[in-house]
Amino acid sequence: MNAPSGLWLALILAWPVLYAGWLSLHEVSIRQLRTGEFPFAGAANYVRLFRDDVFWLALSHTVVFVAISVALEVVIALAIALVINDERVWLSRVTRGLLLVPWGVPPVVNGLLWSVIFNAQYGYLNRALLALGLIAEHVNWLGDSRLAMGAVITAYVWRTTPFNILLYHAGLQGIPRDYYEAAEVDGASGWSRFWRITLPLLRPVIAVSLILRTAFAFMVFDEIFAITQGGPGNATWVAAWYTYRAAFQPPFNVGLGSASAWVMALILAVAGLAYARLVGRRLEP
Amino acid sequence: MAWRLSWRRRALLWLANLAAIAFLLAPLAPVVLASLQSEKAIQRDVRALLPREITLANFQLILSGGATRGPIFEQVTYLPKSVDRFPAAFANSLIVACAVTLLTLVLGSLSAYTVARLNLRWVKAMLSLSVASRLVPLIVLMVPLYVLFRTYGLLNSLTGVVIAEVGFLVPYAVLILAPYLASLPAELEDAARIDGCTRFGAFRRIVLPLATPGLAACATIMFILSWHELLIPLIVVSRPEAMTVPVVLAGLVSDYFVFFTLMMAICLLGLAPTLLLVVVLQKYVVRGLVSGALKG
Repeated sequence: MNAPSGLWLALILAWPVLYAGWLSLHEVSIRQLRTGEFPFAGAANYVRLFRDDVFWLALSHTVVFVAISVALEVVIALAIALVINDERVWLSRVTRGLLLVPWGVPPVVNGLLWSVIFNAQYGYLNRALLALGLIAEHVNWLGDSRLAMGAVITAYVWRTTPFNILLYHAGLQGIPRDYYEAAEVDGASGWSRFWRITLPLLRPVIAVSLILRTAFAFMVFDEIFAITQGGPGNATWVAAWYTYRAAFQPPFNVGLGSASAWVMALILAVAGLAYARLVGRRLEP
Repeated sequence: MAWRLSWRRRALLWLANLAAIAFLLAPLAPVVLASLQSEKAIQRDVRALLPREITLANFQLILSGGATRGPIFEQVTYLPKSVDRFPAAFANSLIVACAVTLLTLVLGSLSAYTVARLNLRWVKAMLSLSVASRLVPLIVLMVPLYVLFRTYGLLNSLTGVVIAEVGFLVPYAVLILAPYLASLPAELEDAARIDGCTRFGAFRRIVLPLATPGLAACATIMFILSWHELLIPLIVVSRPEAMTVPVVLAGLVSDYFVFFTLMMAICLLGLAPTLLLVVVLQKYVVRGLVSGALKG
């Protein structure tokens, strides 16, 4: 009964990954795609990749993007999960009902939406800040390289935080009430209850979310595509954007794109192994 | 929990909840506000937050595929192609999402069943592989798939899009369904097998009906993920006939002449289906996402 999906996975997942490795060792560009013959190129694509400053720039941007967005996701999600976990306020039920709203927004739409929020002339962020008197002049959020990275991270974090909230909320529900009641009797403050009970018991869930979110943030594409297209200059070039530009924009250097894709895959394989071990252990009967 | 709350803590929790709700909803306000205005109105005052006048002209234009122009768009010479393409793309997205949902459910439930019931080494290995393959970057698959699809004539077809999306999503479907199927009691199937049912028969007649909530959760998530998918159709499709909603929306990116108000109206129509699904079927989606991440 595994045969159908096994076959499908072999064709659409396993083989392409290997084939990408093969392509990365060959010269594949628009001309070769027309003729269908890919001459062997050895490590030429990798040499070119590692000599390309933009590739290293894209990798370093990716690291910054991943570090900041994952940290924000964890902190915001933890805060919201703790808030909605207290059922004594009926409003928390409303919050819980709206939890998945950002997750339901298509990533491209999310990108377009935030590009309108951050737009210099008509953008809603400028409108709101002007109305509040926090800025005197319109700010060109997407024109400044630092601000642009911040803008992309904000958009991405907004869409992806709900997933973490769900995981943490599920984790919090698994913590027995008695622990808190006992701590309360012993006179522990709210703060120390959080550090001594909540956080240690949530650690496995947080570990899973960290691995998943790190990996997904590493692959970020849609928001970059829709908000900055890597700009201004190449201030928001990330790894997936580099691969996309190399392989699917003129001059369509599929060989180079495959090489950069393989480097991404190798980096993520480490995260994948860690995740598989962590989650796999739980499913053992 | 019957603890009493002091009014200060209650007020604090209210504020915290309000802040959380603002975080979740506020970024959507511009979509709604801008899509209900004309471009002239939004440009007239670059400091106003709320619209002075409300119009549905943007939606009328998009839903009619650019035919119903009305007074606002009467003299507009440039309309983005995305407007004409939207209705067809919406239909394409529906077809693709339904096909992907159906196929991932069939393939995923079969695999998830073997994972849940057969304690074989290669089945376990396949599960680990599914878990790991969740983290294969899509762009890594798209480069070789593009070359393959080019060779086999699957570019510019919805079939190609469906094939690629199913391949990418099946491991996730297995992860969502496996813990659910494992939680069902095995005794019922054993009884059916003793009465002469084949394993597949037991699966079809007993396991699947019992697993309806899990299947619903999985189906909703698959539909949503397929509806959101940009990179696969963006690379596989370049002809307008086979474009899906995200690709048509991507056409608005870096279009410097597009009306903001019109863009936000298209965005609103593009996000409405999955946003509705998420809010209405929240219970299922939550359960599926949590079990797919933590237990599978």
